[in-house]
Amino acid sequence: MSTRKWSVALGIVVILSMLLSACAAPTPQVVEKVVTQVVTQEKVVEKPVEKIVEKVITPTPAPVAVQKKLRINLGTYPDIIDPQKSSFVNEIAHLRLIYEGLTKLDKDLKTVPGSAEKWEYNADATELTFTLRKGLKYSDGSLLNAARFAYAIKRNIDPETAGEYAQITDEIKGAPEWRGFEDDPQKSKEENAKARAEAKKVVDQSVLPLHPDGKACVGEKPADVYKDPDCTVLKLTFSRPAPYFHTVMSLWVTFPAKEENIAASEQWWNSSKYQIGNGPYILKALEPYVRAHFVPNPNYYGEKAKTDIEYSYIVDSKVAFEAYKNNEFDIIGAAAEDLEVIKKDPNLSKELMTYPGSCTFAVMFHQLKEPFTDQKVRQAFAQAFDREAWVRDVLKGLGSPTLTWIPPGFPGYDPNEKRWGFDPEAAKKALAESKYGGADKLPPIKLTFSDSPRNRTRYEWLAAKWKEVLGVSVTLDPVESTTYTALTKDIKTAPLAFILGWCADYPDPQNWLSVYWKTGAFGERIGYSNKDFDALVDKADVELDAAKRMELYAQAQRLLTDGVPVAFAWNNVNNYLVKPWVKGIVTTPQDSEWPGAIASLTSVDIDTAALPKK
Amino acid sequence: MITYLVRRILWLIPVLFFVALITFTLMHSAPGGPWDRDLEARQVDKRTQELLNQKFGLDKPLFINLSGGNPFDSQFINYIWGAVRGDLGPSYRQRGQDVQDILFKPPEDKPFWYSKFGYSARLGILAVLFAVVFGIPLGVIAALNRNTLIDYFTLFISTVGISVPNFVLAIFLIILFASRLKLIRIVQQNWDSPGAWIIPAVILGFGTFAYVTRLTRSTMLEVMQQDYIRTARAKGLAERVVVIRHMLRNALIPVVTILGPALAALVTGSFIIEQMFAFPGMGRAFVTSITQRDYSMIMGTVLVYAFLVAIANLSVDLVYGILDPRIKVGD
Repeated sequence: MSTRKWSVALGIVVILSMLLSACAAPTPQVVEKVVTQVVTQEKVVEKPVEKIVEKVITPTPAPVAVQKKLRINLGTYPDIIDPQKSSFVNEIAHLRLIYEGLTKLDKDLKTVPGSAEKWEYNADATELTFTLRKGLKYSDGSLLNAARFAYAIKRNIDPETAGEYAQITDEIKGAPEWRGFEDDPQKSKEENAKARAEAKKVVDQSVLPLHPDGKACVGEKPADVYKDPDCTVLKLTFSRPAPYFHTVMSLWVTFPAKEENIAASEQWWNSSKYQIGNGPYILKALEPYVRAHFVPNPNYYGEKAKTDIEYSYIVDSKVAFEAYKNNEFDIIGAAAEDLEVIKKDPNLSKELMTYPGSCTFAVMFHQLKEPFTDQKVRQAFAQAFDREAWVRDVLKGLGSPTLTWIPPGFPGYDPNEKRWGFDPEAAKKALAESKYGGADKLPPIKLTFSDSPRNRTRYEWLAAKWKEVLGVSVTLDPVESTTYTALTKDIKTAPLAFILGWCADYPDPQNWLSVYWKTGAFGERIGYSNKDFDALVDKADVELDAAKRMELYAQAQRLLTDGVPVAFAWNNVNNYLVKPWVKGIVTTPQDSEWPGAIASLTSVDIDTAALPKK
Repeated sequence: MITYLVRRILWLIPVLFFVALITFTLMHSAPGGPWDRDLEARQVDKRTQELLNQKFGLDKPLFINLSGGNPFDSQFINYIWGAVRGDLGPSYRQRGQDVQDILFKPPEDKPFWYSKFGYSARLGILAVLFAVVFGIPLGVIAALNRNTLIDYFTLFISTVGISVPNFVLAIFLIILFASRLKLIRIVQQNWDSPGAWIIPAVILGFGTFAYVTRLTRSTMLEVMQQDYIRTARAKGLAERVVVIRHMLRNALIPVVTILGPALAALVTGSFIIEQMFAFPGMGRAFVTSITQRDYSMIMGTVLVYAFLVAIANLSVDLVYGILDPRIKVGD
């Protein structure tokens, strides 16, 4: 290589290294430089605030509130924080702080007034009229009226939104048609657009913001309707009686995010500027993957929140546990692996909160695949499953055994259901009575599950139990997690036997029975279809008398259990570590992500006197 | 030299194309799709799934559209055409965001290195610096003091570094420095403070550090046996000159070879470190996109990674020429 070539090569290397050092900070010194820049930027923003604080502090020290902050580790960072698109618990944990629906749930999971002060059904429960509280405001002080809620509900139905919970409002007249509308290739573009507009119009008529005197809310410009302070009534029309719908309206899909903010940017949800809500908290800052900071909303109509809340996103449970022990978190989820350590520790054991959850897990048997076509075989497998031992030895206490579909604490729970519990003798007898006559004559049985080291031990245990009690050899079939989800969704690909759970969307038996087990619904994946059951829940869904309605659901649940379509196995438990200085938590089974997230958003507080001294 | 460089860069095009083709084929042959959510969540109903497929073009054929219309209106060709124009497509799971924005767009009012890629790149470069600055001298010292206590100690450290997985090391360091010594916080309040970066960078770079140490030591030992070292000593050169100019320069070639790909791997982020420290890098996007079947995200991250590996290898080839004049680049 000549000297000239040498210098060219050297030059390139120098340039490359300069480029690298320019676009990234290669040494700690450069990182420091970045810091000083940022700090000066922050100062510029905060200067006025600092000044005010100083003035208050000097004359009277008493009225200055201590900056309290409840630090919660949430784990996974949300994919999207959009009321009409979110469906994950960690996403909803953000929405519940920023927004509030027409109704909400109290500590007993009863539906109580939220932004609406009252609601009323018509005689046959095909219409539901909400009256909003007076003087409702968004956190930025702007007016919140019924048109905002109408927009939210319609946006949830809108096929353009393609929200993951769109189906939940299908009772609204015209909703399934608008959602399901497809262009007819035979017709012209204009004709299709017209037909689509017609489909939308039906929904517009079924979700009506009104004045108290019944007049429709209209503005000169479409956006003016949001400025009308008298627009305080929302009337919903259903395609069939839906006496449970006020409970559905407590879901996040009705949270009134502002139309103009959503229109401002596709990434509106990522910014505290556009996440303007009506809930007890304001999203002050969102740093993706790092933290979200919420402060009390002074414009919230009810009791004001007492402390700031900070969500962090550390996914690794061991690190979160260390951080908790180090007083860097106030609330974390307690992982199964750490339970033994927690229970042995005199302090940690006192900080552990364990209480029932909102999910039921069951061993699903494919009703159309041999040998589970035979009810006696299903019964044998259900009775050979020792749920107590499973919860104790396999789940390490993170669950409670169950023999029914609706979990305890939820309306519709049946404490008297004792059928198909663990009974080795009855199990053997049932298998002998089946058309196969015995374990040796059964076709091969495969138990499919989502592969993970934890699941492997769990399912090996289950297969061993069945072998021990029934003498049946069950082959284990681990598959990758998303493959598992995809397989279990469809009746054709659903495995012969697998475990699946259902968690309540809202506390009403309709959500457990009609939404899951009616022909054509989720239960269809294992081929469950029972005309008598369908008739019962259809009747219950439209029954206006509350007591009669519950009785019909109770009958339906017993009928469901009669045929042993699945082996009801266990309910999850909520399991958290909570520091002693966190006060005012009221738990419900529906809590997910942190204790009190449903019923104690405004009562949760930090007792500063109990905080450890630094 | 220039022609060589241009040729190597042009070669990138077919390389990236085939990386895209293979990734695309593999990910679509795995069962399930972006709307198959975690089992704990309620599954999307059929109609919504159809709407989502239409919205994101997933209802189109994979490679060639045989439905009669435009044969090029397929998922793969649309993707490549978009990628050529710098559009990596919308993420299917982080809805409302494009892949290039997720990876490369910094938050408002922040410079580029506050993007996810920027964060990962900064951490990765720190990790590589740690590996090089400590690894090479340690390897040299160990080789020069072969079979002494220093050598055994170095061997011990590097064996530990190679065999202990970084999540174990991470929790060990966290317990030591945060829980026991109270020197650092576990939950970082501010990624702008340099102290916050030390532990993650050390953990991330430890494996590479250990490897660099071992490699430097063994190649140094090999070089020390060479005739030209004896010649250098015989002609009376100072020991420092012998070590630095004659031994180290020759011993570094294998080290440089591994550093290129290591750099590319480290700057694209680490799933484990990011999950543990809530670090806002792109490693998480890389791994979770696969189980989420977030197709455009998988393609985007794989292409970025492939591009960086190719560039890193090219740089390594150029550095060879500097270290060893006998290796001629481009002729």
